[in-house]
Amino acid sequence: MMAGARAAALIDVGTGMVVRAAGKTGTDLPDALQAAAASLADEARVATSSLGQAHPGGDLDQIMVTTTARVHLTKVLEFRQGDALLLFVDFDRALTNQALAALQVGELAPALLA
Amino acid sequence: MDLPRRGLPPTADADSQDAAVALLGQALLNCAAGRQSGALRVYGQPGGTVHVVDGGVAGIDTPGAPGPDVVLLRSGRVPEPGWQDAFAVAAVDGRMGAELVRRGLIGSGQLEVILRAALADSMFALLSGQVDECRMESATAACLLPLDPPADSAALLSEGLRRLRVLASMPNPVRHDRDRVMRGHRAPPAGSMAGGGQDGILALANGRRTARDIAFALGWGVYALTLEFGRMREAGLLTVSSRRNVTRDSPRDPVPAGKSAPPGGSHAADAAGAGRPGQPPELPRRRKAGSGPSRRSQPASSQPGNSSALLRLLRPGSAADPEPGQK
Repeated sequence: MMAGARAAALIDVGTGMVVRAAGKTGTDLPDALQAAAASLADEARVATSSLGQAHPGGDLDQIMVTTTARVHLTKVLEFRQGDALLLFVDFDRALTNQALAALQVGELAPALLA
Repeated sequence: MDLPRRGLPPTADADSQDAAVALLGQALLNCAAGRQSGALRVYGQPGGTVHVVDGGVAGIDTPGAPGPDVVLLRSGRVPEPGWQDAFAVAAVDGRMGAELVRRGLIGSGQLEVILRAALADSMFALLSGQVDECRMESATAACLLPLDPPADSAALLSEGLRRLRVLASMPNPVRHDRDRVMRGHRAPPAGSMAGGGQDGILALANGRRTARDIAFALGWGVYALTLEFGRMREAGLLTVSSRRNVTRDSPRDPVPAGKSAPPGGSHAADAAGAGRPGQPPELPRRRKAGSGPSRRSQPASSQPGNSSALLRLLRPGSAADPEPGQK
């Protein structure tokens, strides 16, 4: 459905736990993903704290990290206090339109909790 | 008074945790290897009952962490009247989760997340405590909100161990079952994502409650709250006022299936009660300082399993690994 998508995971911000995961990133997916999950949760927490006390520019929505080979999109899913969830999607950069990927992730994410 | 400590485990705790990991881990892996189904009684502190289905973990009852029912109700995700209606219809035959979804009280994806998170939290509570004995009973016990399909035991244990490592690596961690917390010398900043509930935490931090107590009261996970306590403590928002003494004597009773720990105020050691390893009690025990609802069935886990909804996000034909938790 999304061009270039390699793997996706739901990450619990409060614990850094990978709640669910799917996709293909080779044989190192579980360990790599688990290690990355806590960092992604911290990253989201730090990004939120940098928005200021009243979040005058709005709440955190997405974080995009690009490397020479990959695009990592992290979408904040609306959840309850103490239970924020992140949707993390790993894209192959050569196959991905970054703007389109961000749009698609944003549109499809709510269905994960429905 | 803030108790000075560095590193989580005083030696006795570390030994106790090691024994808990070894005993419970082996028991769960044995269940998985034999694809057993039944109730794994965990004697110790906090102790509990692990609902095993086909070798996986479908639920955990323990007074050490709030179950999904407590999380759903105390957090306000499911309104009490709606819960009661669904409970009256579906609690008896194990269709509670499906009934909640059918009534539109919660999405199936949301429910699965809560079940998995609560299961991981309960496993953490068991592993971080004391395990004296594990005994598998082939007769299945009632589980109000089982995870279906069940969580992979090895993945659940792995997540529990990760949590223990994270806490052990913290310079000044809060003991979730012992340290009573109270407000610190600083006022909270407004709004942070996971800490959006800091006001609620501070309102309950009266010097008499532990992280576990407040987790039950708010419907949070014990581990998440313990981490949040650590952050708040570093920021001067919270301080540890005193520490509970936990009796570590004889083996204790597991939580009877379908029974839950009292939300808020109860002592883990009290909740564990005094047990007889040969004769698990059939009746729930009254716990000191306990109050409020105590139905307790505990599903949830940390298994990074496959998700059809997630798979739909991926491009068709991307050779998605059907079970990313497996290599």
